[in-house]
Amino acid sequence: MLLKFYSMKKKALLIIFFLFSITLTSQEKNLISDLDELKLNIGEVYKPNTYSVDNQGKKYDCERVIYYNKKGTFSSANAIEFDRNEGTLKGIEPGYHEVVAICYSSGTSSRRSFNVTVNYPKAKSINILTGSNTIYNNTYIPLSYEITDEMGVTRDIDYWKSDNAERYFSNLEFSITSDNNKLDIDESNNVLAVKQGSSTINIVFDGVKSSKNIIIKKNPVVNIDLKLENSEKFKTGDVLNFNAIPYDKKGNIIKDINIDFSFKGKSFDKSNSASGLILQDGRFVGDVAGKYIISASFGNVSKSKVVNVFERNIKREVKNIGTGLVNDKHTSDFWVFEGVDKRDYAVTGTWGADGTAYFWDVTNPSNIKKIDSVQVDARTVNDVKVSPNGKICIISREGASNRKNGIIIIDVTNPYDVQIIKEYTKNLTGGVHNLFIDEKHVYALSAGQKYYILNIEDPKNPVEVGMFEVGKNGQSIHDVWVENGIAYSSNWRDGVYLVDVGNGIAGGSPSNPVAFGNYTYDSGANHATFPFKSKSTGKFYAVMGDEIFPNGVNPYGTNETAGFLHFVDFSDVKNPIEIARYELPGHGSHNYWIDDDILYVGMYTGGVRIIDISGDLLGDLYKQGREIGYILTGSADGYIPNDTMVWGAQLYKGHVFYSDFNTGIGVAKVSEVKPDSSMQNQYID
Amino acid sequence: MKIKFEKLIKSEYFRFILAFGIIKKVIIILLILSPHLTFSQSYYLYVASESEDTVSLLKFDKNQIEEIERISVGTFPTEIEGPHGITVDPNGKYWYLSLAHGNPFGKLIKYSTKTNKVVDETTLGLFPASMQISTITGFLYCVNFNLHGTMAPSNVSVVDPETMTEITKITTGSMPHGSRISPDGLYQYSVAMMSGELFEIDALGLKVNRVLDLENKMMKNKKMSHKMMDMDKKMDNMKMNKDKMKSMQNMKHSMVKPTWVIPHPNLKLAYIAGNGSNEIIEVDLENWEVSDRFKTGKGPYNLEISPNGELLIGTIKSEGKTAIWGLKDKKLLSLLKNTTSISHGIAISSDSKYAFISSEGIGGEPGIVDVISLETFKLISSVEVGKQAGGIAFWKKEI
Repeated sequence: MLLKFYSMKKKALLIIFFLFSITLTSQEKNLISDLDELKLNIGEVYKPNTYSVDNQGKKYDCERVIYYNKKGTFSSANAIEFDRNEGTLKGIEPGYHEVVAICYSSGTSSRRSFNVTVNYPKAKSINILTGSNTIYNNTYIPLSYEITDEMGVTRDIDYWKSDNAERYFSNLEFSITSDNNKLDIDESNNVLAVKQGSSTINIVFDGVKSSKNIIIKKNPVVNIDLKLENSEKFKTGDVLNFNAIPYDKKGNIIKDINIDFSFKGKSFDKSNSASGLILQDGRFVGDVAGKYIISASFGNVSKSKVVNVFERNIKREVKNIGTGLVNDKHTSDFWVFEGVDKRDYAVTGTWGADGTAYFWDVTNPSNIKKIDSVQVDARTVNDVKVSPNGKICIISREGASNRKNGIIIIDVTNPYDVQIIKEYTKNLTGGVHNLFIDEKHVYALSAGQKYYILNIEDPKNPVEVGMFEVGKNGQSIHDVWVENGIAYSSNWRDGVYLVDVGNGIAGGSPSNPVAFGNYTYDSGANHATFPFKSKSTGKFYAVMGDEIFPNGVNPYGTNETAGFLHFVDFSDVKNPIEIARYELPGHGSHNYWIDDDILYVGMYTGGVRIIDISGDLLGDLYKQGREIGYILTGSADGYIPNDTMVWGAQLYKGHVFYSDFNTGIGVAKVSEVKPDSSMQNQYID
Repeated sequence: MKIKFEKLIKSEYFRFILAFGIIKKVIIILLILSPHLTFSQSYYLYVASESEDTVSLLKFDKNQIEEIERISVGTFPTEIEGPHGITVDPNGKYWYLSLAHGNPFGKLIKYSTKTNKVVDETTLGLFPASMQISTITGFLYCVNFNLHGTMAPSNVSVVDPETMTEITKITTGSMPHGSRISPDGLYQYSVAMMSGELFEIDALGLKVNRVLDLENKMMKNKKMSHKMMDMDKKMDNMKMNKDKMKSMQNMKHSMVKPTWVIPHPNLKLAYIAGNGSNEIIEVDLENWEVSDRFKTGKGPYNLEISPNGELLIGTIKSEGKTAIWGLKDKKLLSLLKNTTSISHGIAISSDSKYAFISSEGIGGEPGIVDVISLETFKLISSVEVGKQAGGIAFWKKEI
């Protein structure tokens, strides 16, 4: 009986298991759709036939199917459009796309992704662009292609270099030939004129043919006079201006030809390699001390000049002379100012803490004294600024418990007894990350999307007078700095915007901010911008800084930082040119200050760095030995001990003040003397 | 007849029934004895700390709650990215976190419950907040709160968590919050805080199905007039362009300010927190109408219903309290003071025995999670977590 009972029990369990397994297997359906390898033309609407089959091959119609483009609505830029009422899709952007189909039937779902191609429209015409029909022997033809498709969209050769274009071109017929041996076409389709006479370039692209006749003339250049316009003892980082003048056999100057500049070199230090940069306008910079040969050539005619480039040799001793330690919380931004009593003071913010801002007497930089503090309803006081007259301090709020954030206006007439005089939140509830005080106005960021301009002539009653936003979908802003009536906002991927808020260059004012300049770069990491008019050259730059954490947050130790400062020559506001960079290997940029052609930059984990940016600027400033000195600010007593994380730097009355995320505020002094090397280990007699 | 009965009791079928009956009896006996057996049960949950950029994994053993892991979230060590909403996949393998602040769009991050490491992420809208996954569609529905922008209709992001792709954004009202899915998985509910509406989204059709105005007309007539008069004065003084003016005129300021909606697990009812009107609003989902309103303390914020459908639990944000109502008669059964101020989120254990309440605190105060017994209505245990504890999600009960 007992055995029978166990047998019964076993059967019962088997039946339960069987019933359960039916439920499980019923969910294992395969999705079938004619979406697989579907090719659509732009604008074409298609209704896929999608269903599911079980393991026995039984077909199940989908009670509902949902299709979507796997890249998502944000990143796909609507490459494929879906009409979910009609169950159709429509090709919008050419290229390869992954479409996910999810079929719901009998209470179960099955899914699969399919490759769908939206065809590029067929090419209708091709235009070969060479600049001129006449070229000189032994020179390359600067070819580009202008392709117009059946939908009237014109693409240029740049498409060929991108990933999408690679896919585009790889599926289409493309050939380039010449009708005789006067042109030499290599495997990369570069075209070199090798014999005088006439030749025709023939292009076939996507079945469309085009040709262009080229006249190849004898190279008229018989001599090049290569001059170096500035002549002195050259140091690394100095920009040398070469001028190449081509002459014909009669000794006449030939105009309107483009001379090619190039260089080679050898480092004085055999363990190093020569490196530098030469532009096609003849500007050259040597990064490493060594002997460089600069060449100017046209066709088979060239002229060279040898220059020696010596060490810049500007290193100076930098010593930390005072610290105002904050080691119970993180420190954020700071500002040093002269009080109404002519003594020197500073204010520091705090980050991810309890909404405190500290006030310091820094009159004696070697004896920084904490003299007062305010605590507001916030977790982060990210930015702190003081009005030029030393009377008003404004601090930003993020993480307020009532989610109203905004700014706090503080009377700092007596920095030993500061008084909060106004909380202002209108339009700033989303959090103020950064702000700037310029004369009568404060520029305050709002929710990282725009900035508002408030008149603070009566600081107890600020009045909103203006607002600036980029005006794009997904607009984002991180910082704003105002100088000479121009507001420089740093807008991440939208780069820097130069906005007239009273300068007059574009007729703007605080109540009518008018944008007149913009520059973006590929990384999209524009976090801060500082305007810089070079005292030594008169050139005007926007120094645009990145903020990048390549590996995100490291909860177990020092955060890795990256990014650099981009020097953008804004002398012609309509045509800004990125000309130089300060990049410290292994460390990323944050906030900085420029005074008297010297850059003081908080390089996060790389400490405070002091850089000579005098003279013309070109190429990699760090590699050129332009760094004067640095200090690492980590402290055994820090909030995170021995963890350097410099937030920013400010030169004030000859002292380099800085704030560090883990140690508070500090001050350093750049000495006139070279760094002491007495403790350095030596291997050479 | 007797022969038939004998045949029956000797048949395989009867023996099977008998065997099944015995198993059933054994199970019933075990269930009866279970409260007296000393099984060691633990409850696990996640809570997000918005001003600390951390998520805490908590364990509660029926007596004490403890933080067993604190996970740093976000990608900018020097920016607060604001983890706000959190939910656990119905299969328990993944948890999902919304980061409110981005450049400017927030993100949805997918984590493994096994490792608490990031698996994948996708970008959503402005200030993505609360969310839940439908067991039917498998999709995650996250409201884009957009509480700091210009008052304008925002949306609900629909994400396929398998590929972490945002499939679409469905436009709803101004400041949508409180995304919860119907028990059958076919509808998503959210409320629009500023426009005072309840939205029902067809979870399969991916479109708004129904909209319900939640304003109490009596109250609206009394109080809106003053507010509107004030607003008119302010608008006269403001220099606004025509488009902005038009948009402001079209946008109403809700007096109810609904912040949360929770559909009943068994009945065709939903309950809404009227954060501005200090009330709970009961909505008849079949007839799509307000069926009841009852008063609360100041600022009800989040609501949850115990899985057995008996209790409604609400955080009374402005008072730092948690309220428990019996849903049979909608009577307040208990009103408990939370350990710190600004009560925020609620998670309820799958066995309906415990409610876990997150409280934000102010400034540098830590966030705190309180455990409340839903049998005795007493505070059992508390644990400190990161600052501004908010989003909270029950993960699992383990024996």
